[in-house]
Amino acid sequence: MKKLLIAGTVVTLVLAGFVSLFASASPDGLESVLLTGCETTDGEITGGSCVLQAAGEHEIGGVFADYGIAFLDNEILGASLAGVLGVLLTLGVATGLFRLLARGKQPAPTDDARA
Amino acid sequence: MDDLALHIPTDVIDGPTSLGFALLAVLGVGWCTVAARRGLDERLVPLAGLATAFIFAAQMLNFPIAAGVSGHLLGGALAAALLGPWLGALCVTVVIAIQALLFADGAVTALGLNVVNMALIATFTASGVLALALKVLPRTRWGLGAAVFAAAIVSVVAASAGFVLQFWLGGEAVGQSLGAMTAAILGTHVLVGIGEAVITAGAVTAVAVARPDLVHALRGTPLARPATTLKDAA
Repeated sequence: MKKLLIAGTVVTLVLAGFVSLFASASPDGLESVLLTGCETTDGEITGGSCVLQAAGEHEIGGVFADYGIAFLDNEILGASLAGVLGVLLTLGVATGLFRLLARGKQPAPTDDARA
Repeated sequence: MDDLALHIPTDVIDGPTSLGFALLAVLGVGWCTVAARRGLDERLVPLAGLATAFIFAAQMLNFPIAAGVSGHLLGGALAAALLGPWLGALCVTVVIAIQALLFADGAVTALGLNVVNMALIATFTASGVLALALKVLPRTRWGLGAAVFAAAIVSVVAASAGFVLQFWLGGEAVGQSLGAMTAAILGTHVLVGIGEAVITAGAVTAVAVARPDLVHALRGTPLARPATTLKDAA
């Protein structure tokens, strides 16, 4: 189990911190349909009319807004770091919440010595 | 706008609809919390945490699906296959909440909409398709892979149908008719679903080969040895 968890965590960190830098920058399935009818240049709406024009700014924003680090000028480093921190944060929050939820529950009897 | 945005943003769906789905999300996630506790033990906690982090990471990996359009993993099928629908739905909910609260991805007011589509609809649809498909398909690596593949595609299209319903109730079609938009949403999400299916089938079969006991969909039974013909074909 430990080996699988360590391997899985490393793979996940590499995906978020490195592979994500090569992800497609095109709008996703939902966003592209919401953009239908508008003309865009570099992802910026420049004319026409579409559903997404109604969309407002995000309510909170935040340090990690848009998967970057607000105070870092280097965008690539920011994106990579935001991915890594996001994974660690998600791992921590999810593990913590699930641990709380499992509190007081005994593991089901198992003959699996590897667990 | 040259930013990574993956989910329903602010003001695309009106207030009453967003509120209605927020209530639905609270009820659904609450029910999942109660049901997930029944099947949860401490041994599963680290795996559930890792699955959640993996879904967060995989959602960042947009892959091209057509000219100028990308797709990304939603994760409901992966979570359902590995952890079951209740715990799986909680994993996806945690991801969506973190994205909305810290990464400015998906409006806070749209949390209910996004949670219902991706955490509840996708996960439970995937779980249903998976259970049905595994009744018909052999419990081999390939049978499981095919079942997960089908479950993933259907789950993504079902999640997008959830958005279509929300948009019918509380959205305003601009620049295209509601019918054209519905067709476009469902159509592009068939393509997104194929990408989701490839990733999910790969990840789940990889875990199933190493540790079949960690794949909820197999319900404690190990994978059958593939028939020789299948092995030869591979």
